[in-house]
Amino acid sequence: MFKERCVIEENKKIAPGHYSIRLRSSKISKKSKPGQFVQVLCSDSYEPLLPRPFSFLDVDKNSFSFLYQVVGKGTKILSALKRGDEVSILGPLGQGFSLKNAKSIVLVGGGVGIPPLYHWAKECVTKLKVSAKNIHVFLGARDKSLLLCEKEFKKLGVHFYAATDNGSRGHKGFVTELVGEHLDRTTSVGGKNSAPDVVRMYTCGPTPMLKAVSALAKKYDVSCEVSVEVPMACGFGACLGCAIKVKKDDGHRFAIACCEGPVFQAKEILWD
Amino acid sequence: MGLNLETQIGKIQLKNPVLVASGTFGHAKEFAPLIDLKKLGGIVTKTITLKPRLGNPPTRIVETPSGMLNAIGLQNPGVEKFIEEKLPYFRKLKIPIIVSAMAYTVEEFAEVVKILDREDGIDGFELNLSCPNVSYGTKSGSARMFAHDEKMIEEVVGAVRKVTSKTLIAKLGPDVSDIARMAMAAERGGADAVALINTFTAMVIDLKTRKPVLANKTGGLSGPCVRPIAVRMTWDVCRQTKIPVMGIGGIMNANDALEFLVAGAKAIQVGTANFVNPNASIEILEGIQAFMKKNKISNIQEIIGSVKNT
Repeated sequence: MFKERCVIEENKKIAPGHYSIRLRSSKISKKSKPGQFVQVLCSDSYEPLLPRPFSFLDVDKNSFSFLYQVVGKGTKILSALKRGDEVSILGPLGQGFSLKNAKSIVLVGGGVGIPPLYHWAKECVTKLKVSAKNIHVFLGARDKSLLLCEKEFKKLGVHFYAATDNGSRGHKGFVTELVGEHLDRTTSVGGKNSAPDVVRMYTCGPTPMLKAVSALAKKYDVSCEVSVEVPMACGFGACLGCAIKVKKDDGHRFAIACCEGPVFQAKEILWD
Repeated sequence: MGLNLETQIGKIQLKNPVLVASGTFGHAKEFAPLIDLKKLGGIVTKTITLKPRLGNPPTRIVETPSGMLNAIGLQNPGVEKFIEEKLPYFRKLKIPIIVSAMAYTVEEFAEVVKILDREDGIDGFELNLSCPNVSYGTKSGSARMFAHDEKMIEEVVGAVRKVTSKTLIAKLGPDVSDIARMAMAAERGGADAVALINTFTAMVIDLKTRKPVLANKTGGLSGPCVRPIAVRMTWDVCRQTKIPVMGIGGIMNANDALEFLVAGAKAIQVGTANFVNPNASIEILEGIQAFMKKNKISNIQEIIGSVKNT
């Protein structure tokens, strides 16, 4: 974990209301793992007060990038910053995704939950030597313009499936419907596959989607990692603000998403 | 020019007046990769209760204009696990450690402090009489927390005073009509110092759902938005009590801290700023030193209480 003033190398609009920003830091980029995040202080004037958490989109030797949607004051300030400006960054933070025996990887993303899945897919293909042919990416959005990272995923050579609310690209409806069909075809629980496959799912996006994907993971007996999004203050375990209800023995406890997560095993989380 | 930043709270000799506030500094370890903890004047730990507490369900925090609301609900491992798992790390830091303790009854308060009092490496206790985010079963009936009731403050401080000779600090809340009277009650009970302020009980409503944003409905407001009120309260209390005051409330930088010192606080605690900038406490300390050099002040005591009332 480092605290640094990072110089912006690029800050550009990539979709309606969405931006991609790249910042220079060899320290942070060297230590970062897919699924981890940085805390970004959008303003030094205490208004807005708190830093904003963003998962990594991509990392190279001397810089890292993340995607953000302009939703409030902080992200609006961020979107107005130019190449050469500096921002206070704390990171990398949290626990990222993990890879255990898997013959097939299924990634399910929605909205600004898509970037960390791209980072993970890229890591799997380039560093962990997973064949792109064994990676299935399912993205959901309101409109095709918001299927973030579509081109980048396709460049990796992975299987790509899209669902949009308005039918402007791929399946018209929820992305989880496509995922359900896929698991039906490819898992032993689905029953249509004579050779049971070891499938591992990863998901990040709106909470209703995370719940639906977790339910599918349970139904098809597939292991699944979920990256949660919860309101956060400090980002490194000091405030205990980003609680998430998880199983403990027969009861529950509140895990702290910024340091125990943001990636959790789907079966641990107790959704309300 | 040699600078003397030493100050005293009860029996605790502080090498400088910058401490970190309870509930904003984790168990210190979280900050170790980022700052030199040994430079701090002292640390007030996350509040410890007799039994472990799970804390409140989410949503626990929400940002407000120049501030934030929290309702963590005193999530903590309980006094036994604190001693076993957290205290050894604090001991190693060799700086003053003040353990924040909270309980639901007078008897339980004394019990928690009694257990902690046997342990090495604790320099004093801060009684959290003012957490707005837990329900209390006080005998006072109508009071929502100890800090709302002069008699309760005196009684609980008095009961704890009997079980420890270490420095005893009463942490007061701002949701009262006259905080100086609350501070005087703590003084009568035998407190060595008072710390103020805790957060303001506050609420944010989501207009879409028309529900409070926090699961606990209300939370504690902190951050720069509360600072001027905290300065006023510090000033009020300093004029009316003999025991030292630790000033707390939205301190983000050295100038903020200096306002509290000038108002009369013998030391300050940095709270919410730790979430925004993990290095805030050290930067505040360095800023105070820079201010002293610039103004040719060699002893921090020349600053403390130097407010001009006319």
